[in-house]
Amino acid sequence: MSEEAILSRKLKKALQLLLFQHHHLPGVKGWELRKALGKDYLNIIRILNRKLEELGLEIKIIHELEDENDFDKARFYVTFKSIPEELSSWRIDELAILAISIAIIATRNSVKKQELQEILKEKFPDWKIDKVINMFIKKGYLEEKDDNLYIGWRTKAEVDIKKLVESIAGYKVD
Amino acid sequence: MDSEAIKELSFILELQNDWIKRKALGLFIDPFIIDSKIRILGKKELASIFLSSWHPIVSIEQLTTKKLLNALDYWKVLIPLSQRKKELELAKELKEKTIKISELINLKILSDRKFNDEISKIKEELKNLKEPIDYWDFIIRDSYEETILRAYLLSFIISEGFARLIINPLEEKILIELCKDKEVKREVKSLPIVINYDIWMEKRRNKK
Repeated sequence: MSEEAILSRKLKKALQLLLFQHHHLPGVKGWELRKALGKDYLNIIRILNRKLEELGLEIKIIHELEDENDFDKARFYVTFKSIPEELSSWRIDELAILAISIAIIATRNSVKKQELQEILKEKFPDWKIDKVINMFIKKGYLEEKDDNLYIGWRTKAEVDIKKLVESIAGYKVD
Repeated sequence: MDSEAIKELSFILELQNDWIKRKALGLFIDPFIIDSKIRILGKKELASIFLSSWHPIVSIEQLTTKKLLNALDYWKVLIPLSQRKKELELAKELKEKTIKISELINLKILSDRKFNDEISKIKEELKNLKEPIDYWDFIIRDSYEETILRAYLLSFIISEGFARLIINPLEEKILIELCKDKEVKREVKSLPIVINYDIWMEKRRNKK
């Protein structure tokens, strides 16, 4: 098999592993990619990323451990580079609740669930706050531990937290 | 200095550590600014800000012909509901009674080896793994009984949250991975894995 054919086969395999959800979480771990593609899997991922960029997608690497050089234990995802507002299926108030939750948690590291509910109560009814917060916990955007809320795995993968917080802080109100 | 003061000091150090970390990550914005902006901004503006920072994950859940054929095989061997109901009713009619551990040992349902010791042994094996291991490689042993026991103990350990299964449908592989800590269970699924004598023989042959 020519080198080109081998690369093409590896790119296809990498894309299958990245897109096809085969755990309860989407994406794929680095060691799984190494096992399927060989030890130069990071190069294959770089080449695939360049191809996906042309389609408005990108490969994101989220390190689950502090060591950012340990790619084997990191999780690799394919994400949209940007998403048009009309494509979001969530209601505007659900998005607002999520934006507020993430911004507050990001600036404090965590927040008491009750405290967040009090802040949100100013603009949303109790029943909606509970329902939406629980929905985002279930989806992995928020994480609940001992009545405290933290940033969830999905937010780490999908949301540019720095940009979100800076946009809220710097938003000019007319 | 009493222990209460040391505890308070360590709490302050922890907060300072968090503060430094957030500042280093470029996320240092006074929480007061965020709180006040949140109160001023409308839901439309907040939603719009969120959408500009959001890059949703792309993933596919797709059926394959092979999966459908497996499901069809399952359907074929599935006992009709009416029959299963009868069996359940029959089971209900049987009077409940308690049984002593010694009776279970005599009946060879429970081994006289201590259950907890066996669990600890398997946990030790899992702790020594450098990377996830194939499910069958882990449980298959030279005797059928030991294999069944290992599968049973492993299912107990996985339910406890000490380890988890990784299913790779593309390669048709099931791997066991050690969990860092007892992880918070999200979207817990039950996974039936059939082991019988024939399967054991085949897997044992493949292992050799």
